[in-house]
Amino acid sequence: MKHKLASRQIYLFLSCIAPVGKLVFLPAHLARYAKNDLLFPAALEFLVQAGAVFLVLLLAKREKSLHEMLEEVFGRIAASVLVCIFALFLLFCSLLPLLEQQLFVQSEFYDTLPSLVAFGPFFIFSVYLCAKPLASLGRTWDILAPFAAAGLVGILLLSVGSADFGALAPVGAAGGSGFLRATASATSWFFDAALLIPFLGKFEYKKGMAWKGALCYLGGGAAVLLFLAVFYGIFGPIAFNQLFGFSKTSKYFSGITVLGRIDYLFIYSLALVMAFYVALPLQGGIECVVQAVGEKKYLRTFLSIAVNALLFALLVLLEYRLRDVLSVISDTLYWIFPIFFLLVPVLLLPLRRRRRES
Amino acid sequence: MKTLSGDLKKDVDALKKLLPAEDILTFSFSSEKGLDFCILFADPITDKELLGEQVIRPLKHFSDKPTADMVGSFITSPEMKKEKELQKLAAEVLAGNPVILWDGADEGVVAGTKKVFTRAISEPSTDVAVKGPREGFIEDVKTNTSLIRRRLKTGELKIEMLEVGRRSKTFVALCYLEGTAVKKTVEEVKKKIGEIDIDIIPDSSYLTHFLASRPYSLVKQVGTTEKPDIFCAKLAEGRVGLIVDGSPIALTVPYLLVEDFQSSEDYFVPPYRATFTRLLRLFALIVAIYLPAFYIAGQLFKLQLFPVKLLLTIAGSIRDIPFSPSLEMLLVLLVLEVLNEASIRMPKYVGMALSVVGALVLGETAVSAGFVSTPAIIIIAFSGIGLYAVPNLIEQTSVVRLAMLLVAGSVGTYGIILLTAFMLLYLVTTENFGTPLLAPFSPIVGRDLRDSVFKYNLGSLDTRPRTLKSPNRRRLK
Repeated sequence: MKHKLASRQIYLFLSCIAPVGKLVFLPAHLARYAKNDLLFPAALEFLVQAGAVFLVLLLAKREKSLHEMLEEVFGRIAASVLVCIFALFLLFCSLLPLLEQQLFVQSEFYDTLPSLVAFGPFFIFSVYLCAKPLASLGRTWDILAPFAAAGLVGILLLSVGSADFGALAPVGAAGGSGFLRATASATSWFFDAALLIPFLGKFEYKKGMAWKGALCYLGGGAAVLLFLAVFYGIFGPIAFNQLFGFSKTSKYFSGITVLGRIDYLFIYSLALVMAFYVALPLQGGIECVVQAVGEKKYLRTFLSIAVNALLFALLVLLEYRLRDVLSVISDTLYWIFPIFFLLVPVLLLPLRRRRRES
Repeated sequence: MKTLSGDLKKDVDALKKLLPAEDILTFSFSSEKGLDFCILFADPITDKELLGEQVIRPLKHFSDKPTADMVGSFITSPEMKKEKELQKLAAEVLAGNPVILWDGADEGVVAGTKKVFTRAISEPSTDVAVKGPREGFIEDVKTNTSLIRRRLKTGELKIEMLEVGRRSKTFVALCYLEGTAVKKTVEEVKKKIGEIDIDIIPDSSYLTHFLASRPYSLVKQVGTTEKPDIFCAKLAEGRVGLIVDGSPIALTVPYLLVEDFQSSEDYFVPPYRATFTRLLRLFALIVAIYLPAFYIAGQLFKLQLFPVKLLLTIAGSIRDIPFSPSLEMLLVLLVLEVLNEASIRMPKYVGMALSVVGALVLGETAVSAGFVSTPAIIIIAFSGIGLYAVPNLIEQTSVVRLAMLLVAGSVGTYGIILLTAFMLLYLVTTENFGTPLLAPFSPIVGRDLRDSVFKYNLGSLDTRPRTLKSPNRRRLK
């Protein structure tokens, strides 16, 4: 197995895979605070995140891992501690998509609400995925990108006819406070730049990769914005109540009465991609620990089992409080995200300069 | 290593000691000048008529002092070699080549008068083409290599004979185009074959286990074909081929999953038609694997999967069925697999009766008796047909279909999605001889997509697949 990711694979992740994580709770969450202005906080988030992606990809030019970069400046032990802290952050990042996924599976894949055990098999898959080295993900993205693109385009095509875009007017209905609150809490869904940090040193760096990556991310963001517009155009004032947005917008397509829920083809395509996306922060976290401790036989497998078992136990313990956990993360702890996805690359870039000068 | 002593009686005794079997015969005779000769041969596999004509008759007139070179030039067999070691001489006898000894011989002469049992070259039943060549490989390695040599009249075609199997000493022809195949792959294949320490190799399928990077995997990792035209096309793309004596199925490496969605006929019809049929095969396979699973998951966990009218029809037909949907589907699948297995091995005239029993008795009667529902039979029948759209993957896909069915019955649609994710991850991380199994889709190799599930015009296929890393890139100038 080749150990370097191709630049194409990074672009595919940024343009096709990353947007999929923004389709579950985020649309309803934005609609709650920003109402018909939901596109603006989302656009701002995408712009900031694209900037962070740009910075991370600039760091990729050094072709060194996060641990190696920190080790050059702070020494091995401090670097290991810092990388482990970053791994904890990625573990924290995984909570929100995991909870989303679990609630999505329980409510959309079954006619009657199943027990939490129905979501259990996800962790078996996640153990297998996390035990694989990160480089294997590049090929996965190659194959998942068409699924993600087809899923999103299919849903948009089936939904767009039912949308009333007039519902998005007048602009500014939510006011400045609504915009700020929506922007702040939506930050919890935007950590894609941080997901790239464990891949540092595993990129096949190419000239212009940073701006191309940022543009790809903005391209994916544009598709999400279009979806948000369609979503609000369909549900209007009750949009805040429509969780799992992407699985609901297309069910008003007129052909469904004859053909059945053909939109499930696209929803399941996206669900397939989501299974990989949700496990990505866990995989990144494990990669960071492996960098800190050093590659050892079965370490990855052990960490993978431990982390997934821990998260499954957490889900079981919090079974009746999942929504509360979600709101704590998105409404209270949202400030943690920019510290890592923005500050880490911003702080690492001068380190690079310092080394050059020395 | 024991060699010939020069004493005819002693040498014949020594060889008989090595070959005590009753069907190893000796024939002693003297030339007109009184020189004594003895021929050792394996009775069932030596062509005695040729032996008489090409060896014994000329040697009857032998008059000089015999040496291996002299004897060799006297006999008229086109295949001849000299050998000193007793063990090697014994091996030649066992391979059907008679050994000629004489008094004072320090080297024996081996004549190539092996009896060759072959069936006529015919169209392989598993790979039928309406257009294009109809020849198929047979069980004889020499005939098979001749079919290849006839198509590739170039000195670059290398055919190396290897021997595998402690007891069977089966010939394995390693074929490749020098300068087109990757040297490293050729060496790796040779190394892997050289390391095989098994008593017999009855068929080429035995070799696949040793060539695979994941030998216990369900996933196919070595390409197979029964057609020399496909075999040659694969060699021309830069692959390495293996033909095993006694097997009509040739092997090729590296293998890409997409190969099995292609048929030789695709290259003899317009590219639009070829693309359509390839996509159709892919679609049929996906439907065959997923349709029964989604039907079960829909019934058990998510009724919204069915359109309302269809749901009413299904509800009506399953009302009186005594089994759960998954058990019902498993039973129907089991019956289909049994029918399939039995119809392949039964004599043809019984097979006709079996299809009547299968279709009428088991199908019609089971429905009217209320054991199984009509939709279940329709779905399994369609799935069964769909699997045969890609016949080379039947062994794998039928197991995957069963796994999907079990997962759908226990976890529902989310289980199907997770199992698909599992399979995708497993497939993208599988590679053999340094070539990813899912290429050119993962990793994406843009140019190779032109001959994948899509088929471009021949003029656009001017280079060999990049995935195979052939040193000789251009094939169309």
